[in-house]
Amino acid sequence: MAQLSDIANEFIRSEIEEFLERPEEIERNVALFSRVSPAMQDIAEALIEGDNVAVDRMTREALDGGVGALEIMDDGLIAGMGIVGIKFREGYVFVPEVLVSARAMKAGMAHIEPILAASGVDPIGTVIMGTVQGDLHDIGKNLCIMMLRGGGFTVIDLGVNTSPAEFVAAVEEHHAHLIGMSALLTTTMPNMAKTVEAFKDAGLRDSVRFMVGGAPVTPEFGKDVGADGYGKDALACVELAKKLAVEVN
Amino acid sequence: MGGAWKGLAISPAKVKRRGENFTRLTGEWMTPRRRFLSALYGGRVDKVPAMTLSSVITLDSMEIADAWFPEAHLDAEKMARLAATAHEELGLDTIMPVFHSQLEADALDAATWWGTVDNWPATDDHVLTDPEDFKIPSDYLKRPSFEAALGAIRLLRKRYPDVGIVGKVYGPWSVGYHLVGIENFLMDTILDPDKIRRYLEVLLPASMMSAHAQLEAGADAVMWADHANRELVSPETYRDFLLEMHKGVTVEMGGPSIFHCCGETTDRIDYFAEAGWDCFHFESQVDPHVAKEIAGERMSLMGNINNPTTLFSGTYEDTYEACMKVLEAGINGIAPEGSVPLGTKIDVLRALADSARDYSDTHRPDGRLVVHDPPPAGNGG
Repeated sequence: MAQLSDIANEFIRSEIEEFLERPEEIERNVALFSRVSPAMQDIAEALIEGDNVAVDRMTREALDGGVGALEIMDDGLIAGMGIVGIKFREGYVFVPEVLVSARAMKAGMAHIEPILAASGVDPIGTVIMGTVQGDLHDIGKNLCIMMLRGGGFTVIDLGVNTSPAEFVAAVEEHHAHLIGMSALLTTTMPNMAKTVEAFKDAGLRDSVRFMVGGAPVTPEFGKDVGADGYGKDALACVELAKKLAVEVN
Repeated sequence: MGGAWKGLAISPAKVKRRGENFTRLTGEWMTPRRRFLSALYGGRVDKVPAMTLSSVITLDSMEIADAWFPEAHLDAEKMARLAATAHEELGLDTIMPVFHSQLEADALDAATWWGTVDNWPATDDHVLTDPEDFKIPSDYLKRPSFEAALGAIRLLRKRYPDVGIVGKVYGPWSVGYHLVGIENFLMDTILDPDKIRRYLEVLLPASMMSAHAQLEAGADAVMWADHANRELVSPETYRDFLLEMHKGVTVEMGGPSIFHCCGETTDRIDYFAEAGWDCFHFESQVDPHVAKEIAGERMSLMGNINNPTTLFSGTYEDTYEACMKVLEAGINGIAPEGSVPLGTKIDVLRALADSARDYSDTHRPDGRLVVHDPPPAGNGG
């Protein structure tokens, strides 16, 4: 079994030691980072620190050095973002820190995505994502999208203020089975229920799975509006999407 | 006023309002306005107030008032008529005429989408990238959003001299979200904190002008929102960027101040109290007992009634029960935690005032009403 001391990068070691509390997460991250190359650990460190310039440079250098795009994404970018996600969930960091790390991840993904797209790797599934009608807040949704893409999903981003009809049309156009709805306002949350209703009216409810999230949204509210799952944050969103993808594939 | 005071001697009175009956308690001796203001300062009340400190506008109330979104946002008469349903139809002790969050941002040239009958207004484009480019327009308080809001406050003051009128101001942090974009604004708290401080400096006068204008128009108190929520930023961010500024705001505002911050705010209530806010309007994620323990006598607490689960999805009975639980915690007044969804049923919202009345009726020390004796005859009403 891997030990913390097996991880070469001192910063990563101290992150795990200081911020990870759940035994299974400690074990998983120790195993992960002790396996990956020092260069990938460095990318993860830069991403956790929110250094987009360094992530951009190191990603290019790794690709130029022959490291595979998938390896950089999984072992550097997503591994680093995983630590950020845990720190966010546990309240060690807040949205600004996550946004800065997300910006760094985007800098790296800008090099990775074209390569993955050209290589024809099959996505796990297609997710239609949107902030519900009347709501123009998209930070949480955008973080989820980034993590879903990193997690192997194709994501169609409908943006903000998305009407139920737009969700339905997107599902039909892209033959998608997963839908993610976000809301920040208690005043717009009811539009999640209206969207689910629109799928019932269109005869599509049974062929899709709904994920809901957003600061005021709760698992109970998700059940009330007829959603199939609730994600507290971007990490949970990816886990939920993977679970629901199995149901509909 | 002597005539009104005689009301103490009569049995519970039925007060007819638009076909609805509101039962008064025996011995009520405060007007809703006095009750609200006294509670705001943690003072004696004859009954725990039930209020709106956000919007309680619903599709039902639009129909009753025949004043509809989005027109009511920019028409003083419609705004006043619609806002008044909070008192007329729901029996609440306050009326809050500004329903949306765009008052300052719209007058500062943010691109506002005024919504639809069943959707709220929002900013759909951000106009500011450099604090040095910001300037308050010379006709700022004459812009349409202010004309409507200030006009509505004046009308309501005239029509409801005995009801609490609450103004609404978005502080520089929240206006910054509208003008700069929330993502850019939040990232710069880390990447360029001096730039954020500069934004706050230049935006603050716009919020202060709004507060002063609303108080001058007749608002009894101003609800000031700066959304430094736990869902977004750390308590230290509030401390480092806003605490000192808010200390100045509470001194300079010139009227009773109610602070609003969404979400789970337990970890920053102490800072809010330190800032000198008279009252904190707080959400249901916060345990009211814990909030009371932290705030102590420094700041009163109002709100705490859950919107999505209780008011929107629940029944009258669910809401009544939820209100009773919050009232048992001993906060200074109940109100929805934030603006209620437009599809909320008006009958459910009536549980707010009913529960406050019944709670007060069953909590009479020595058989009297909630706290303290009424004032001496001749000084009442």
